[in-house]
Amino acid sequence: MDKIKTESLYFYYKSKLALSDVSVSIQHRQITALIGPSGCGKSTFLRCLNRMNDTIPGIRVEGRVLLDGQDIYASGSDVVDLRRRVGMVFQRPNPFPQSIFDNVAFGPRVLGLDRNGNLDSMVEESLRGAALWDDVKDNLGQDALSLSLGQQQRLCIARAIAVKPEVILMDEPCSALDPIATLEIEELMQKLKENFCIVIVTHNMQQAARASDWTGFFWLGELVEFNVTQAIFTRPSQQRTEDYITGRAG
Amino acid sequence: MSIRTAFDHELQALRDNLLRLGSMVDTAIGRSMQALKERDQALAQQVISDDEKINQLRFKIEEDCVSLIARQQPAAHDLRFIVSIMNIVLDLERMGDHASGNATIALRMEGQPPLKPLIDLPRMAQISQEMLRASLDAFLAENAQEALSITRRDDQVDELYTQIFRELISFMIEDPRTVTRAMYLLFSAHNLERIADRVTNICERVVFLATGQLLEIPSEPESEIGGGG
Repeated sequence: MDKIKTESLYFYYKSKLALSDVSVSIQHRQITALIGPSGCGKSTFLRCLNRMNDTIPGIRVEGRVLLDGQDIYASGSDVVDLRRRVGMVFQRPNPFPQSIFDNVAFGPRVLGLDRNGNLDSMVEESLRGAALWDDVKDNLGQDALSLSLGQQQRLCIARAIAVKPEVILMDEPCSALDPIATLEIEELMQKLKENFCIVIVTHNMQQAARASDWTGFFWLGELVEFNVTQAIFTRPSQQRTEDYITGRAG
Repeated sequence: MSIRTAFDHELQALRDNLLRLGSMVDTAIGRSMQALKERDQALAQQVISDDEKINQLRFKIEEDCVSLIARQQPAAHDLRFIVSIMNIVLDLERMGDHASGNATIALRMEGQPPLKPLIDLPRMAQISQEMLRASLDAFLAENAQEALSITRRDDQVDELYTQIFRELISFMIEDPRTVTRAMYLLFSAHNLERIADRVTNICERVVFLATGQLLEIPSEPESEIGGGG
């Protein structure tokens, strides 16, 4: 099932064209990896999916981005609700300088999801969902910044899923992590995809090959090829994809 | 200009070693048939001892493939290339075993009078060798069409095999004293038939390398006395 669909998406930073005619369907309960060299537009594309680019002056978006068939760029679209439905995890873990509990409770409190007084169970559920509960259950009042980087990133994932999103965008979520913490996040992604649509930007092609179901290859703002991951990594149809994933260009 | 020069050199070395192995097997097939035809015991011995070199090179290539997969994380064409080579060296090594088997038959037939002049068996060997060379050329050229056309020659080998089978059976029926020699020649024909079948396997790998498609190339028409697969 299509969770997200883009139709002829163009993106401009002032006069610079950053995305050109990107049309793609992203499936629910699947992991979609976006790969490509630096500056190819993959992060720009990711940020279009929850309008994170809106705050940048001088940008312009053409085309449509449909979430469950509704254009998120249509006038009157509720951006706050959009960002609750489409959460994001960033390159460097960025927990708030607060306790572990307050980090996860932040979103539900702001959105008023805690009115039923079930905040404790929401925090626990989110921490369990991010495979962090067993590590921190006895220290929920501890400063989040005292956690290891891998734990901090899982805390950020717990914070993202606490508001019950439908899509999780991940922008190079493992680039600041060591190999073990990286594999833990990848394991977690496999668990998360049972409930969420996950879109991940990664510089690590092996990560895309290991962890994703679908892969899109961006090059100079174009989506050159989009297919199931196995096909991309065993028999890509485009020479540019071949050159990139075999390390001969980019 | 590739940014993976060292990797490219290793792939080239792998390709070179594959061709070297193919050439050794080609030689073994030719020499084992010559030994059988000309009753050359020394040549038969050489084929048998050279088979050890074939086995060693096969393992070296396989180790190199495993090492490249572990160290270089090959993808796409590189991955298909390495996986194809791992499969092809297995087939080549088995073809070497069949050639060595024919050399052993040549040794066993020492001192026994010739049953008949060998014509069809050398013909089978010759076609098998031509198929082998053509399949390795197709691998180098990554030409799937060419690979598919090579497999059609397997039918000629199968026909010769059937013909030899019938002829040897009639020898055995007419004169039971020929049974041992006829059986040896039949084993020899069977070895050659298997060699040609294994060329078909190589051709399947060429198709995989070129297109990414894994497909079984059927051998048609089915040989009357089996031996397919």
